[in-house]
Amino acid sequence: MISHFLKFLSFNGTPGEYGSTLWATIYILVIFGVASVAVMLMTYLERKILAHMQIRLGPMRVGPHGLLQPIADALKLLIKEDIVPDGADKFLFWMAPVAVMMTAFTGYLVIPFGKQHAVTNMNIGVLFMLGISSLGVLAVVMAGWSSNSKYALMGGLRSAAQMVSYEVAMGLAVVSALMMTSLATGTGTMSMIGIVESQQQQGSWFIFKFFPVGLIAFVVFAIAMVAETNRAPFDLPEAESELTAGFHTEYSGFRWSLFFLGEYVAMIGVSSIAVTLWLGGWLRPFPNALSGATWDTAFSTAPGILFFVLAAMCFIGFARMPKKPSFKVQSIGLGVFGVVLGMIGAVLLVPMVRVRVADIFWFSAKVGVFMYLYIWYRGTFPRYRFDQLMKVGWKVLLPISLAVLVLVAVIGVRHELLAGLMGVAR
Amino acid sequence: MSIAPLLRKIFLVDLMKGLSITFSHQGPKDCQTEQYPQERPTIADRYRGQPLMKLGENGESLCIGCNLCALACPENLITMKSDRDPVTKKKVMTTYVYDVSRCMFCGLCEEACPTQSLKLGTGYEMALYTRDGMVLDREVLEHRKDPEPYDK
Repeated sequence: MISHFLKFLSFNGTPGEYGSTLWATIYILVIFGVASVAVMLMTYLERKILAHMQIRLGPMRVGPHGLLQPIADALKLLIKEDIVPDGADKFLFWMAPVAVMMTAFTGYLVIPFGKQHAVTNMNIGVLFMLGISSLGVLAVVMAGWSSNSKYALMGGLRSAAQMVSYEVAMGLAVVSALMMTSLATGTGTMSMIGIVESQQQQGSWFIFKFFPVGLIAFVVFAIAMVAETNRAPFDLPEAESELTAGFHTEYSGFRWSLFFLGEYVAMIGVSSIAVTLWLGGWLRPFPNALSGATWDTAFSTAPGILFFVLAAMCFIGFARMPKKPSFKVQSIGLGVFGVVLGMIGAVLLVPMVRVRVADIFWFSAKVGVFMYLYIWYRGTFPRYRFDQLMKVGWKVLLPISLAVLVLVAVIGVRHELLAGLMGVAR
Repeated sequence: MSIAPLLRKIFLVDLMKGLSITFSHQGPKDCQTEQYPQERPTIADRYRGQPLMKLGENGESLCIGCNLCALACPENLITMKSDRDPVTKKKVMTTYVYDVSRCMFCGLCEEACPTQSLKLGTGYEMALYTRDGMVLDREVLEHRKDPEPYDK
């Protein structure tokens, strides 16, 4: 058993490549758990950051600075009454939230959190991811249709139109990134791990490739990504002021929370695609320019240091808590939380852990930036009107992404020809 | 379309402006929220809150039983009775009932009072579980102190 364990640890690849169902299952369970916790954290951060942007405080009462709020929310949702409308199509009504969750989580099979930290290295990774995430539309339409409610139906229809039209621009932007992977080796790859490796090989994240072109493709993807996940300013399917809650109007309690979970998991999933395609996936900053053992060590201390900073923030909060008996429990809680964070930071500094965790850390950090962007957009932009939405999708993003595609092809061929003429070694 | 607005649109200048505004307002110092039971608002001196009757220096009532406050009240929520003191031949207030549940804190009674006996004070935590508790008599009004602030 232990030898099995050690053998896998020394194997430099994913469980899929190793061919071990057991390890794949363990990875899947870990990813499932971590993604759920990340969603809880995300709901807390979203409420807090959004509140601060609107000059409010956000949750403050449940735990120190509202840190236990997500747990309280989850508990509330679990014990809430679960209502099925009388006229609803019972089977589809049951299936829709499950389908949303399953499509959101299935995409995680191919997300590379690190070179060894993916469930499997599928050779059609990006295609699989995009295909699975488009299935989410079906689930949303299912929810809207089966609820037997006008609001839900309108939300479902809007969602279908929106997600289908933005998928086109998104797909074209992805194709231009995929074409970039073929530059150095001559053959492109759709494997998520292969894409990151080719970025390392070419010595540049694809966002900086052929300077403005890669950036434009990335921007198109970043906009389409927000529309794909039905988030503000493209949150028409669940527009509160127009459709109460859109496609999940009739859902309550646990099933509503499945929708919620699915939405946030999908957000993280789509951000992971963006990070993998354009921002160098799990690669740390400057893996080629600043290579060598010293730099490796320096960069691999980053996760530990981050946790120490978080712990320090907790202690500052602890020191600044009002000195009143009513704040005693909260202060102690914040202190304990800081100690726990500090201990995690200390564990992350152990050399054996440090090496293993660095790539996961850089990947999560990049995804975290996207999560912040999602919240930031929500705090800033008003919702698009439906005709504006369609105009942006079809008349702006689609032509731009087509132009970028052609540009990448032309520049890429020229680049390759020049490289061939000059006899530059590949 | 002239060139400047077009460029502004292409480079999403307006969106960036909006983003920078929300980004710059994230500091917790900008927050306007008051953590109520722990932090308490500063109440202005002339705030019209919980009604009370002021007493003179020797603890005697300042009320002369003129009934002006009851007449001034738009809600007719003050009922008072007065008798003539046989010795001093002055009017003395005997019963005084102030029904806060109907009060809109307009302060007309306070303005009508010639001796400045009746006053709407600065207390503002007047929530109760019963309506009966809101009908205040003379005892309560004269010996009322500001309520113990909630501070747990």
